[in-house]
Amino acid sequence: MKKYWKCTAIIAVIVFSIGTFYVNSAISADQNPEFVMKTESGDAKEIEPLVLEGNYQGDSSMNYVSKSLKITEDGTDYTNRSFLDRLIGSPTPVIKELQDEYHGFMRGKTPAVSLFFENNQRLAYANVEYKIGDNSLKTRDYTFDISLLNKEDGSTDSFTMKIPDGEELDHIFVEDVQIVDGELNIITENTVRNSDNIFNEKHVYTIDIENQEVKNHEAIHAPKGQENSQSEIQLIESEMSTTAHEKLLLLKTDRKIINDSESTRAEEINRELISYNLKTKDKGKISGDLNLNENEISSFDGSTVYLTKVDGQEHVITPFHLEDRQIGTAFRFQLSDKPNIKEPPMIRIKDGKLYATSQRMNSKIDGNVIVADLKTGETLYKGKLGIKDAEDEKDDYDLYINDMFVK
Amino acid sequence: MKKYLKLVNFEFNRVVKLFIVLLGITLVVQVAGVIIKSKDYLNMANEKINEDLIPKAQFLTDYGQFSFLHIIRSLWFVGPIALCAAGVAFYIFLIWYRDWVGKNIFVYRLLMLPTTRFNIFFAKISNILIMTLGLVAFQLILLPLEAMVLKWMVPDEFRNDMGIEEMITSIPELNIIIPSSFVELILYYGAGLMAVSILFTAILMERSFKWKGIIAGVIYSAIAVIVFISPVLLQEFVLNSYFYPMELFVIEIVMAVIVLAASVWMSGFLLKKKVTV
Repeated sequence: MKKYWKCTAIIAVIVFSIGTFYVNSAISADQNPEFVMKTESGDAKEIEPLVLEGNYQGDSSMNYVSKSLKITEDGTDYTNRSFLDRLIGSPTPVIKELQDEYHGFMRGKTPAVSLFFENNQRLAYANVEYKIGDNSLKTRDYTFDISLLNKEDGSTDSFTMKIPDGEELDHIFVEDVQIVDGELNIITENTVRNSDNIFNEKHVYTIDIENQEVKNHEAIHAPKGQENSQSEIQLIESEMSTTAHEKLLLLKTDRKIINDSESTRAEEINRELISYNLKTKDKGKISGDLNLNENEISSFDGSTVYLTKVDGQEHVITPFHLEDRQIGTAFRFQLSDKPNIKEPPMIRIKDGKLYATSQRMNSKIDGNVIVADLKTGETLYKGKLGIKDAEDEKDDYDLYINDMFVK
Repeated sequence: MKKYLKLVNFEFNRVVKLFIVLLGITLVVQVAGVIIKSKDYLNMANEKINEDLIPKAQFLTDYGQFSFLHIIRSLWFVGPIALCAAGVAFYIFLIWYRDWVGKNIFVYRLLMLPTTRFNIFFAKISNILIMTLGLVAFQLILLPLEAMVLKWMVPDEFRNDMGIEEMITSIPELNIIIPSSFVELILYYGAGLMAVSILFTAILMERSFKWKGIIAGVIYSAIAVIVFISPVLLQEFVLNSYFYPMELFVIEIVMAVIVLAASVWMSGFLLKKKVTV
């Protein structure tokens, strides 16, 4: 052994030094505080499906080091910690569920919720594929890449088809996929270049699944280029889900472009909601007392639009039923005693239940979580975000909630 | 096994001088860097506060506190690391070629040893690994020491302390050398081991067939690289992301093992049958 001392020594140093480093970093990883939702009143069962995604910035010297995390009923899960986590990526819960259930079908599919549609019989996927030109960066040969899974017999039907008038497109991407009456509807945003101007249009392609051909192609909204106005349309998607709805809801915003001597700015002049029925192909403006100048559209579940606004200390949620064009009873809630106007609460509505949480918390700002039944106006759960162990309590930290899922 | 260990020790003794020199340079230059950078900052603070009469608080908000980040991003810190990397890269070739130069061609004795010639290959590749990890381990020991020097140099109120992990994650280059998880360490250095084994094979081809061997070595390396990255290429261009990331990862590991095994086998074959003195 004496003969080998140099070699032995260096190996011992390597094992000791590298070992210590990784053991220490494993220990310090555990020092991140564990955030939990502490129940104040109501039934803790209500937050079972809730997943909050956010960032934690510790009180370490360099505050830019932020760690992403997920908070659920069970506690906190710091993501991106392990290399394997990063490698696998973190698809949204909806996609993850689909991947687990339909492992084979989900292969090679872009993991974006809007590209999928699911009902009891079918799981459908549609995306746009294109080639990049040989000698220019212009994209071309736009095709739809469509896959349909029959849930009953497990058979998959995949096909591609050329997008009609694809040559005129500058770009196209899929915003929603719906199956209505056995027909596949692909809702897209098409970018069209017309001399110097670029327009964003909303189109619906109706595809006959049996014959694999485009049955109908319609532009829901194609803004005409005008000298000093601008019209933008935005698809209001129902909650991050793949569920069916016959009606599309679009928010149209008209802006007037004002050319000052020094700058060009756009001023909003009108906002309106447009509905489009995929079944009847009827398009119409939704009239009614929506008061879109004050209200923000925060959620849409296929039949009801939820409008939100801040009224003093309270947040007001007004449901608007599309069927009978009626405004329902407004639900008012106050997330915390000192509402933070700059950072409005994050809101999700699913199955008639409202989930709201603060976007930021630290030792001075409270983070609150509320679950309420919008039909009855009853608060089902009220809780606070906090650090699990009191001894981990810190002075200087920030927790930001960036996203919220209801499973 | 004992023969292998003997050879490893023997090879290590031959490189120990170069190794110590690299450690020494790293130690001296990095610590000097800490001292010089801290002095620079303190001089600037002194000038601003005492000559330009900027209040201390104002100075701190304008110029910020001094932290290890200032040092880590300077040439004083990165320079020695780059030098060590270059040293190891150079030694990958030297570890073979030094045996063929000089009056008493050493490789003659090496090849005459009463042991399987695989051991020569394993001993050499182990040495490259020991050297690399040794440098990494030394850097890990140096970091807290340098942080301590910084603490002595800069008064509390001007200083912003960082943990070792923060230092390492603050610049991506360092994070490659010292990854933040142990799994990554294994993967990165495993990939390095594979790369060295390919290089060794190419070197042995050159030693076996001279000029023709260089061409063979280049072709072998190219094939090895293509085989290794083929799953990724297929995934991207042919299979349209057919594999889930986890599956692709496992396939890549299998590919790496195949390439490593092929290189080891090929080198052993060359050493046994083809190598010329």
